[in-house]
Amino acid sequence: MPQVCLYLQLHQPWRLGTFSIFDLGSESSYFEDTTQHNKEIFRKVAKKSYLPMLTLLEKLLKAEPRFTFTLSLSGVFVDQALAFEPEVIEILKRLVKTGRVELLAETYYHSLAALYSPEEFEAQVKKQLKLMKELFDYTPRVFRNTELIYSNQVAELVSKMGFAGMLTEAVDRYLGGRPKTRVYYSYPATQSAPLPLLLKHAQLSDDVAFRFSDRNWDWYPLTVERYLEWVEVYGEDEIINLFMDFETFGEHQWEDTGIFEFWAEFVHRFSQKPWNTFVTPTQVFEAINLETSAKATQQISDTDRYNVPDPISWADVDRDLTAWRGNQLQLDTLEKIYALEEQLYKLKDKKILENWRRLQTSDHFYYMCTKWSADGDVHAYFSPYSSPYEAYRRFSVVLADLQGKINESALSRP
Amino acid sequence: MIQRASNIFMIGWEYPPHNSGGLGVACEGMTQSLADLNTNIYFTLPYHLQMQASHMQVLECSDPAWFADGQTGAPPFSAYAAAVQSKPFATKELSVESLSVLPSSELENKVDKYANLVTNAGQKIAKVDLIHAHDWMSFPAALKLSQKIRKPFIAHIHSTELDRIPNGSGSQYIMNTEYEGMMHATRVVAVSYYTKNILVEKYGINPEKIDVVHNGIMPLGLSQDLQIPEPSFAAKRPVVVFMGRLTMQKGAEYFLALASQVLKQIPEALFIVAGDGDMYHELLFKTADKHLSASVLFSGFVRDTQRARLLNRADVFVMPSLSEPFGLVALEAAQRKTPVIVSKNAGVSEVMPSSISLDFWDIEKMTAEIVKLVGKPKYSSQVVSSQLSDLELASWETAARKLRTIYNKTFMGT
Repeated sequence: MPQVCLYLQLHQPWRLGTFSIFDLGSESSYFEDTTQHNKEIFRKVAKKSYLPMLTLLEKLLKAEPRFTFTLSLSGVFVDQALAFEPEVIEILKRLVKTGRVELLAETYYHSLAALYSPEEFEAQVKKQLKLMKELFDYTPRVFRNTELIYSNQVAELVSKMGFAGMLTEAVDRYLGGRPKTRVYYSYPATQSAPLPLLLKHAQLSDDVAFRFSDRNWDWYPLTVERYLEWVEVYGEDEIINLFMDFETFGEHQWEDTGIFEFWAEFVHRFSQKPWNTFVTPTQVFEAINLETSAKATQQISDTDRYNVPDPISWADVDRDLTAWRGNQLQLDTLEKIYALEEQLYKLKDKKILENWRRLQTSDHFYYMCTKWSADGDVHAYFSPYSSPYEAYRRFSVVLADLQGKINESALSRP
Repeated sequence: MIQRASNIFMIGWEYPPHNSGGLGVACEGMTQSLADLNTNIYFTLPYHLQMQASHMQVLECSDPAWFADGQTGAPPFSAYAAAVQSKPFATKELSVESLSVLPSSELENKVDKYANLVTNAGQKIAKVDLIHAHDWMSFPAALKLSQKIRKPFIAHIHSTELDRIPNGSGSQYIMNTEYEGMMHATRVVAVSYYTKNILVEKYGINPEKIDVVHNGIMPLGLSQDLQIPEPSFAAKRPVVVFMGRLTMQKGAEYFLALASQVLKQIPEALFIVAGDGDMYHELLFKTADKHLSASVLFSGFVRDTQRARLLNRADVFVMPSLSEPFGLVALEAAQRKTPVIVSKNAGVSEVMPSSISLDFWDIEKMTAEIVKLVGKPKYSSQVVSSQLSDLELASWETAARKLRTIYNKTFMGT
């Protein structure tokens, strides 16, 4: 009888090309080289995942009047889609036009700016909002931060920007024994209004996103019946937040695993029962607002708060930041890139600014992760480089070039 | 009529273009100049040399089993990579007893196999006057062949295990092989007085038996430089270069410490580490630890044009080796008009007294020199031109003439 809130993330980084020390000071691109790897990867993923899954979602919207879902698009994803596979954008436009697809706000560059610079964070969010408006005539009201990274401090930033709510991960060490299927509020909002939050249902999300084709999993192969059973044990006022990478469909789980059929059947059969509903975050938060404003005072008790002093994310086993800030290679490059901020703002050089921001994309730091264990395999799977060391080495060279260009540019100005 | 040794059976290990370090380069320069002096050379290699050398006869002495991975154009293992790290020596003094260890590892088996293959090849050659063997990998072969064909052999020392693993925990087997080789050789050739001293002091070799033949350098051909593209990279920043294997021996760690100090005075300076080796990952972490990301850049192993470009471009070349028998790359840098700072523990300063010779650990003095070289172009060009005059004497022809004398002396049994 529950409400299912499906949100899928669309993102592709600008991976570094073969810019070497011998290119320092030249006009060579950081991101493109003769191999056109970003284009190749985008088109491959579009063929395997974006195009078939978007087409399927479009069909499901037509077939099931009560089906609705949410997407979040990073700006760098949109840039690459427009450049490499514009058909993806065309389908997205049709989907948004139905009025049944919610779009979320996020940082344009899928960055970690929330942790380093409130000013840069706000600039990147505004840039993504502008893009959503221009491309889809849509104004997102709910925010999702890069990799669902969240803390009390991040909530503060988001709240100040006037968003209606935010999505993040349900992490036991902060949630305690409380259910993850309710709406929570940020803590303690010193100046800003409390921000309502939806928390990812990791188990049911990852059953599809990670375990679906795992032959060693007890429940392999996952049937729609079984998945429905797991979903339907929840009550009608409970929200099951299925948050996943869009590429789950067709790229992480290939077509031959039956993932598309599985999802289509799930949507059909879930919709057949009138007490089951699909919802989007804005729908949930609007309902909450009606309720709370009806109350005389907006007293929110501690049991309704999600108190997260240290940042969490949806990544790896620990759901913390160690995937991006777990070693010195990552920490030093992050520190170095954000140290350039002040100089860059003064410079007002569009090309340099754009390159700097593309280098902030979280994936660059993810590739430098040297964590052992099963998480390491996931990192290796997603990395275009032979090793975390190579990721660091290349990033460092590009960063040196960027620093050089900033200094030169600054010197050539009166 | 005076008998001359004209038919030399030379036992090699690597040869350009597939050399990992100075040994291959030295063998190339040496054999070419010897050939110019009418020396008939047979040169063995443990792999197939793709390009034929016209000045000598190359004999491939390899076992197909070594190249199961399909890589046939390079030595079956890296002889200088400190592949074997056995227990540290209990005593400082080397004695024959402590060195008596049986070959057991894969490395040792390969060297034994090479000895057999070389011996077979050598026995088939009608006229061999003497055997000239380069470094420990070739000594077992030289010993065996020398006994079979009853010809004298010369052990040529380009580097010792004590140079390569300065903390004394090097391979006992390798040290034993070096010792046995030198003890049984008719004569020993050392690449510097610095090395001769080690052979006498640490290996207990009779100084009377050792001749010093410094390496030379081949003049720059016009064609070599025409290929180098202009304008060069990082044109507007001071560039300091380290080039060598990333091992403890080469002192790359001191290069990082040096970078930290120099950057305090020249913040825009770039430090480029060119090379590969077992300390690579450790050096990356140390770089990030010292907050040197984007100031210290790693290029990986470079050869040919890239190597030339880097040495051409460098404003200062630094070789902070803990122990360097010769250090050919310092001559190459000088030849490319780059001022050179070398460790006092390096043989190369014997032929290039104009280079700046400092203790590898003396970061303060090295920093001062770099700042001076970068800041005072006049001083820099003085150093460059003095180095160039030194180089005029450091030719391979000189080395080849000395070798011819040693050959004759050895052949005559004097």
